[in-house]
Amino acid sequence: MSTATYTVAGMTCEHCADAITDEVTELAGITAVAVDVDAGTLTVTAERDLDPSEIRGAVEEAGYEMAD
Amino acid sequence: MKPLSDSDPTQFLIDFYTNLNHDIIDTDTDLATVVDRHHTPDLVQIADGRRTDREKLIAHIRPIRKNKPTVRLEVHEAVATGDRLAARYTMHVVNRKRKLVMEVCTFADFAADGRMRQSHGLTRTVSNELIEQESRA
Repeated sequence: MSTATYTVAGMTCEHCADAITDEVTELAGITAVAVDVDAGTLTVTAERDLDPSEIRGAVEEAGYEMAD
Repeated sequence: MKPLSDSDPTQFLIDFYTNLNHDIIDTDTDLATVVDRHHTPDLVQIADGRRTDREKLIAHIRPIRKNKPTVRLEVHEAVATGDRLAARYTMHVVNRKRKLVMEVCTFADFAADGRMRQSHGLTRTVSNELIEQESRA
C-alpha cells in the first residue's frame, strides 16, 4: 500500500476533479483518489508502489498538467 | 465585440461563449491572448464559491484546448440591465471520453466593449440518469 500527493495545474471546479479522478482510477491497483481543487493537489492510494510517470500520464490524458 | 447594452441578452451570451470556445478550441492563439480578448484584466469569476482570476482561467482553458470538446449552450432565460446580465442556461460538453451537462445560474458584468468583467454563479451537474429522463420527456 502506498500513498502519494501530486500538484496539478488548471483545476478550478469539481468537473476538473471528476475528469482527473476518472482517469487515475482506471489505472491498475488504485484504491483511492482524492482531489483538492482549492489546494491544486491530487492524492492517490494504491495497493502497489506508485509510478509518478504513470500518474502523470493519466493526469495528462485528462488534459491537465502535473507540476514537477 | 458588441456591447451587452446593444444586444439581445440570450444572443449575447450564446455569442460570447461561441466566440470564446472557438478561440480556445479551433485556433492556436496564445491562451493568455484568448482570455484577454474576452475578459478584462481584473476578471473575477466565482463559481460554486470558488474564485478564478485571469491566471487561473488561463490555466483552466489549457485542458479545454487539449480535449477539444464540443460545447453547446442552451439558454433558458436571460435578462440584462445596462452591462449586467442574469441568466440560467445549460451547457452541454462532449469530449473524447466524457459527456458533461451542467445547469448554470449566473450574474455577470461586462465592460462596454463586451468583455466579461466578473461573474458569480452556481452550477448543477445533470446526471446521466436525468439526461435520459429529460430526453424522453
